[in-house]
Amino acid sequence: MKRQLYLAGLCFALLLNNACSKKYDNYPEPDATLTGSITDLATGKPVQTEAGSNGARIRLDELSWSATPTPYYFYAMQDGTYRNTKIFSAKYRISVEGAFVPLIQYDGAGNITVDKSQTLDVKGSAKVDFKVEPFLNVDWVSDPVYNSADSTITVKVKFTRGNSNPSFQNNVTDVFLFVNATTYVGNNNYDNRYSNKISYGGTAGNSQIGQTITITTRDKLPGKRSYFIRVGARVDYGLKYYNYTDIKTVAVP
Amino acid sequence: MKRKIYTLVAVLAYCLTACTKLDIPPMNVIQDKDVFTSEGGIRIYMARAYSELPLEDFRYSQTRGLNFFWIISPPSANTGEALSRDLGSSTTETFNPAYWELGYRLIREMNYFMQTLPQYAKNFQDADVKHWLGEARFIRAVTYMALVKRYGGVPIVDKVLQYPDQKPEELKIPRASEEAVYDFIAADLDYAYNNMQATSVSGRANKYTAAAFKSRAMVYAGSIAKYNQVTLFDGSQQRLCGIPATKANTYFKAAYDAALLLEGKYSLYKKAWAAGDKQAQMQNYINMFFDAGSPENILIKGYHYPESVHGYDAYNVPRQLMGGNGYSAEVNPTLNFVEMFDGLPKNPDGTIQTLDASGKYIMYNNTMDLFANAEPRLRATVIVPGDEFKKEKIEIYRGIYTGDATNGISRLLPDGSTSNYPTANIVASPNGNQTPYKLPDGTLRNPAGKSGVFTADGTCAISGFTVRKYLVPDKPTAEVLENRADQTWIEMRYAEVLLNRAEAAYELYAAGQTGANYLQDAFNAVNQIRDRAGANLLATTADLNSINIVRNERRKELAFENKTWWDLKRWRIIDKEQNGTLYRVLMPFYVAQTGKYFFDARTDERNNRYTFDTRWYYQQIPADQISKSQNLVQNLGY
Repeated sequence: MKRQLYLAGLCFALLLNNACSKKYDNYPEPDATLTGSITDLATGKPVQTEAGSNGARIRLDELSWSATPTPYYFYAMQDGTYRNTKIFSAKYRISVEGAFVPLIQYDGAGNITVDKSQTLDVKGSAKVDFKVEPFLNVDWVSDPVYNSADSTITVKVKFTRGNSNPSFQNNVTDVFLFVNATTYVGNNNYDNRYSNKISYGGTAGNSQIGQTITITTRDKLPGKRSYFIRVGARVDYGLKYYNYTDIKTVAVP
Repeated sequence: MKRKIYTLVAVLAYCLTACTKLDIPPMNVIQDKDVFTSEGGIRIYMARAYSELPLEDFRYSQTRGLNFFWIISPPSANTGEALSRDLGSSTTETFNPAYWELGYRLIREMNYFMQTLPQYAKNFQDADVKHWLGEARFIRAVTYMALVKRYGGVPIVDKVLQYPDQKPEELKIPRASEEAVYDFIAADLDYAYNNMQATSVSGRANKYTAAAFKSRAMVYAGSIAKYNQVTLFDGSQQRLCGIPATKANTYFKAAYDAALLLEGKYSLYKKAWAAGDKQAQMQNYINMFFDAGSPENILIKGYHYPESVHGYDAYNVPRQLMGGNGYSAEVNPTLNFVEMFDGLPKNPDGTIQTLDASGKYIMYNNTMDLFANAEPRLRATVIVPGDEFKKEKIEIYRGIYTGDATNGISRLLPDGSTSNYPTANIVASPNGNQTPYKLPDGTLRNPAGKSGVFTADGTCAISGFTVRKYLVPDKPTAEVLENRADQTWIEMRYAEVLLNRAEAAYELYAAGQTGANYLQDAFNAVNQIRDRAGANLLATTADLNSINIVRNERRKELAFENKTWWDLKRWRIIDKEQNGTLYRVLMPFYVAQTGKYFFDARTDERNNRYTFDTRWYYQQIPADQISKSQNLVQNLGY
């Protein structure tokens, strides 16, 4: 009886030993790194964006196994750079979407007229930079000013067209002063008690191009802390992404 | 022994004749021959199809879906028409499974019907067969409309797909262009118009129903061609999102022509209407939604307790008439909505006037005094503070002002402030269990009205208003329960056809088209609507100087009928209207010292801001559908 038990145990152990293959996986893990930046073609500065689903995103089409794969997306950081350390080593067509003239353009019949996407083999570490033409450049005219009388912040900015392509001179629809208590500030993340905006109907916004725009926060900002502010403006094109200034920190006493 | 063998052989031989055929259809499954050989069978097939028809009715909301029983986050709280305690920000459709999957089931059923009925045509009159084939096309078109308004171009499936007989590659049909889908809808509805009969039983379509839906579909297509800013091409030159701007006039003309077909066939409901009599005009407007014989109804969806029910009354009744389930006042019209109507005192900028020239609140003996001259349609759509419903005065006020009122009362908060009301000089109630306040004359009075406004409990008129449209005026409170309501949903009524016609005509006029006197026609249509509503008429065609006049008329007339969200989307204006937007409310206060009321117009006290994500103009194609068919291209931004 005991012997039978041992034999059964031995058989079971043998089975267990062979149950799993020693290989961890059939495919290599995603070990490649893709980094880069999205910069303004004219000024060379990074194109500011917001974190998350309404900001700039990188589109990867993995061409190793299909000419029309389901695209893989990831988002850029709000300073206009991106970095993804978990990419499969493969051949990719890489492009980027955001608040700038699209890299891939179509004519009215659906034929591709412009294609600035890049195709390359990503292995180890690759750096891909994109030079784009933003819809708008939004710039600080002067540093934000804290008004101690009514506990608000006043900013002066101006926006100009970032490109001269006649297809992308859409109407400017609004300028938005975003205020937040963390460094992540933009249309996706702002404190709506204090943020403020100016909306333009029809072509009214276009006459403000190049003018100094003054916006003041709403309500009273509680003191003894810092606020992170930036201004966004957008045109009536496509998904209406915002173009942004960089972020400024204002310490409220 | 031998005899036994013979007997056995004989028995076995006899058994051989037992079965003539083993391959018989299962007896417990209804066969085509059972359905397609009698008028009753066809009726049953169609009854199911109509029950699945994608109508955004009492049982729809963006967060919960179609044919859902528990609608407490109402669609009107997503458009600026109303505020609701259960929906406080912009949303797109989030229900699961998404409509994509549901739509193609119904399309398959209609394709099957169209392919199968001709084989059994000999059982019926030719005219009936033609009518039913047209009806199937109508249902298919309405279903494609539900798809295209959500997703843009979708795969066009016009025959029954066979799986597993067909190869998977043949079944992975790519998306057609948005334009092609609208053209497909127009072709189906034209077929329906040409083949269907002029009349039908209530709840089923006839040829004019098809024409009415065509006017709706084409005015959608026209506005997308004109206003859409999103472009998406696939790899084979199909424009999945967006329609070339050059097609706008073609579609508006098609909408206009389709609307003309209904002229003289249906009319606006005016049974209780009387010229110059605001009370009669209001009553007429209320009755319209409950009169089964209304000449305005083009397509309705019937309900009947206990087989097919909804809970509209239970969820939306004013707080003081709350039923046993404890729900009430889910739909509270915003001041922004109320201000669109005529007959209210207004400031030069169109907002409601609550202050006199010196900046003090205007005092009223009654909350109803502010609405003394209000447009009848407003009071038939919205219960304003102090109005009567179910023979009861609906009491709505926010609190009692206990301060000194000798020299009038200045604003409680500065203009535009989003802060809470000051606690000094105001008593309020957090919920329905009120502690009465002793007035200077010694009488006791509750700090808030019976229907609100309560500061901590959202089951009240949080905007100062509560909805009236579609609430049954004589339903006993004992029956105001979930799954107990069975009033009819009017999906398409003649007023919408007139508004489609007015919108298409004005767009054609604005584009310089000269086929007819479009401006005059739009003017007539708008004035017909306004006349019935008891609103101020447009004096001359010169007053009709903006598309917004036609659009606002539509928003007022079709409010709380779950059409506005789609309208704001197809006009591509909802992202401008909802961009960090706070909607406005109107708060009545009782003044302890004088026994009078004043109104404070302010922004939503909850500070719920609405921001529409521009990606939502085209909804996300469900990821599980793309996994099934990699030929489906995702919409932009997802």
